[in-house]
Amino acid sequence: MSVGGVPGLITVSRRRKGMRSYADLLSTPLIVLLGGAAVALWVSTRTLDDIEARALQPSAILSDLGQHLILTAYSTLFVIVIAVPLGILLSRKGARRIRNVVLAVGGFAQALPPYGVLVLIAFAPAPFGFNPFSVIMGLVAAALLPVLRNTVVGLRQVDPALIEAARGMGMSGRATLFRVELPLAVPVMMAGIRVALVLNVGTAVLATFVGGGGLGSLIVRAQTLNRPIVLVTAGAIVAALALMVDWLAGVAERLVRARTS
Amino acid sequence: MSETTTNPHGIAEGHPDQRPMIVLEGVSKTYPGQTIPAVAELDLAVPRGSIVMLVGPSGCGKTTTLKMMNRLIEPTTGRILLDGEDVTGVNADQLRRRIGYVIQQVGLFPHFTVGENIAVVPRMLGWDRQRIRQRVDELLELVGLHPREFRDRYPRQLSGGQQQRVGVARALAADPPVMLMDEPFGAIDPVTRERLHDEFLEIQRTVRKTICFVTHDLQEAIKLGDHIAIFTAGGRLAQYDTPEGILSRPANDFVAEFVGSGAAVRRLHLIALSTLDLDEIATGSSPTAAALVTVPLSGSVYDAVDAMLDAQTSVVAVVDDDGQAVGALRWNTLVEKLQLRGLHP
Repeated sequence: MSVGGVPGLITVSRRRKGMRSYADLLSTPLIVLLGGAAVALWVSTRTLDDIEARALQPSAILSDLGQHLILTAYSTLFVIVIAVPLGILLSRKGARRIRNVVLAVGGFAQALPPYGVLVLIAFAPAPFGFNPFSVIMGLVAAALLPVLRNTVVGLRQVDPALIEAARGMGMSGRATLFRVELPLAVPVMMAGIRVALVLNVGTAVLATFVGGGGLGSLIVRAQTLNRPIVLVTAGAIVAALALMVDWLAGVAERLVRARTS
Repeated sequence: MSETTTNPHGIAEGHPDQRPMIVLEGVSKTYPGQTIPAVAELDLAVPRGSIVMLVGPSGCGKTTTLKMMNRLIEPTTGRILLDGEDVTGVNADQLRRRIGYVIQQVGLFPHFTVGENIAVVPRMLGWDRQRIRQRVDELLELVGLHPREFRDRYPRQLSGGQQQRVGVARALAADPPVMLMDEPFGAIDPVTRERLHDEFLEIQRTVRKTICFVTHDLQEAIKLGDHIAIFTAGGRLAQYDTPEGILSRPANDFVAEFVGSGAAVRRLHLIALSTLDLDEIATGSSPTAAALVTVPLSGSVYDAVDAMLDAQTSVVAVVDDDGQAVGALRWNTLVEKLQLRGLHP
């Protein structure tokens, strides 16, 4: 039977696609590595004065980097914790009316300039103020929409016939959601989470203006000290971080997609 | 079409329990925001172990009726009895695990393997791993897919016909007494559909389920159904009868029109060659038996007429499974025989 040949064919084409995607996957770390090496080489050829040397101490940079990653991680986590359940609720049939209203509000929050939001939040009463909590809430507001929208879209693009089949076999609504709808929506949801993550990495640079720390502090220090070499290094680190976070999220997204489709 | 004429499992005979498997009593459905009911005051009894085809034009309420049987759609009024038990108020999820369900789009879960798809209901019922695995393999064999080759494949690696076989296997998984099928072969090419029909009847001969089957294809209904329920707009039952009854005694103009002008020819499907007295094949005269066009004894008069027209001859030889000629059928005598049976147009 001709069917016998099909699995072989599929494996071959999948393997080929796999090889191409490995090349894709390697390009970002390679660029980051080369760029990082170039900056490091350039810095090493320069003689650093006291101020520059202190600003570029690994311990100082690592501390800023650590704060930056914590801000990014918490804000993305809060985005997921808020947007995914909300997205699930909005994707239900009964929420048809309010779905667009909530998505519009999310779009509004995203359209606000993050810097302005951060400053406003910092001046709000406790627990807001000039602290990391305000920063995280500001980041959450700015990055909520991609996850919310992709959760709704991801769930609503699940073939209604699959849901009918699941219910028709006696799966409860909850079981259908967790065993059929969510697994099939995960790739789309992951794409939204990736966007939120990258947004948060970038926006967290502003945290320093409201007492949140992060790599923004390094940039601000370099500017006030008027040391271009520190500024360039800080910029390179922020760019490399954003690229690597996007890359990691992309790898995760691809793994999930490969498993569910 | 030996199915309908030589069927030894007709409701009237053999079965100790004469109670119909599914009974609809005064069932109506009016969708919210509509004044005209989709199904109105429907009474229908589906005999145990038989196939009832729900047929009718689009929007006649046949699918609504089917989905009310497993309460995917809740009836507005009336009650539904499953094996004598009123199921109108029971837990719908539990009810559906006792009823196989097959839909046109098949609805196999793309992230589950074939085996996992079939195992869905047994898993919900808490079967142990060993029993599930055994059942999956048994069902794959039943629907003609080799377990070792297909069990661990994903649905996208199957053809449309293979997918629908898995769909049927999945519906049969927990051995439910009742199967509901919503145009299961509607999206499949005609050649594959023919084959699936034959396999479906073959499977039904072994499993003897009570089956409700929605189709808009009268031909399919005649071929597969023990009984046919023809719906007219507004979910009213225009006629509920055997295929032969529908074709030869349409109850009203609507049915007559729905059956259309080809009724006489369609009816030929229902007459198995094995039920006719065949002519002797005259030895020595020409054409000799060997030169005749042959049709299998398991076929219908329709097949014989088709063979005659195709070969432009007025006589065919009827052969048994071993290819031995058991008799001849001539055009002239065929027409007389049909008149004697009261089956003439």
